Amino acid sequence: MSSDPRFLIVDDFSTMRRIVRNLLKEIGFSNAEEAEDGVVALNLLRSSKFDFVVSDINMPNMDGFALLKSAKADENLKSIPFLMVTAEAKKEDIVNAAQSGASGYIVKPFTKATLEEKVQNILAKQAA
Amino acid sequence: MGHSDGFIIQDVSVAGSTDVNILQRVQATAGAEQEDLYQRIGHLTRTLHDAMRELGYQESLADARDNLPDARDRLAYIARLTGDAAEKVLNSVDHARSVQSDITARAQALRGRWAAVATYTSGSAAAPGAAAERATPAGAALVDETCAFLASLDSQAELTNTILTDIMMAQDFHDLTGQVIRKVVALATDLEEQLVKLLIDATPQEHRPRFDAAKLEGPVVNPENRSDVVTDQAGVDDLLASLGF
Repeated sequence: MSSDPRFLIVDDFSTMRRIVRNLLKEIGFSNAEEAEDGVVALNLLRSSKFDFVVSDINMPNMDGFALLKSAKADENLKSIPFLMVTAEAKKEDIVNAAQSGASGYIVKPFTKATLEEKVQNILAKQAA
Repeated sequence: MGHSDGFIIQDVSVAGSTDVNILQRVQATAGAEQEDLYQRIGHLTRTLHDAMRELGYQESLADARDNLPDARDRLAYIARLTGDAAEKVLNSVDHARSVQSDITARAQALRGRWAAVATYTSGSAAAPGAAAERATPAGAALVDETCAFLASLDSQAELTNTILTDIMMAQDFHDLTGQVIRKVVALATDLEEQLVKLLIDATPQEHRPRFDAAKLEGPVVNPENRSDVVTDQAGVDDLLASLGF
């Protein structure tokens, strides 16, 4: 993985995309793009190189689960780690995300420390 | 006479009738009761049907149906306004960060220069003998305080950034409330559809009520779909100007 990993932030709320983008910048990752739903995200993933996806779940057109499953079913995308950041706090959703290949799961509202910890852990595992 | 089987059989037994008569009377009674039951169900059905039709005439139900789209628009209006507010806060946070960053950078540049002055006024510069002559005690103290202040700016900038991050994170309410509003809007849409179906089923075409929409509405929540409202102050001014005001 690159020393300056490229992030894709997927959320239908622009406010949340900005918050995540700013937090990543504060953590030290300023290389990020945004997508407002799974369809746009999947197109971006297939047309450009990304190292990390931070994705919401509940979105129109294509939700985070569908995006995650599509990416994991794609030979070229399956190695990209997914961190789900969502208000969906049901256990079955968390289990579903893990079983679908998500590398992490954060429930909104969250803190900068939580995001930093999850991102760093996932990056460390990717590097190992 | 009661309507239960026990009461009927006891009544027949007292009269001393044969088994056949008892059976016939039971069957007759049962038949009469069944017929009565059907009549009552029929009556209930008619009452229910009439009630449904009556409901179609009542403004309260039709109002509820008509008010649901309005409620939906108002919720969308709330979502939009809170979203705009959150964006404004985020813009302000970004601006404040930029200003803070600039202050920190300039302070760092000045700190080095003031450190040189502090060294000079303390008498440890290249020309130590001249320091005491060139710096009054007040001047030396001012230099020391300025250096200390500039040195503290980094930690203060860090604290300010933490506060700005807290302010930024607090804007996630828009995402969370927005999702709730979206679900309520979906519920209202479903309810409206069901209500419309109910009214269509229960109300003859010629009896469907008409409603007067000309009333004070408060803020316009969907101006793009309206030709009878203005969307901003410029619209107000243009309208007034066209009227000669």
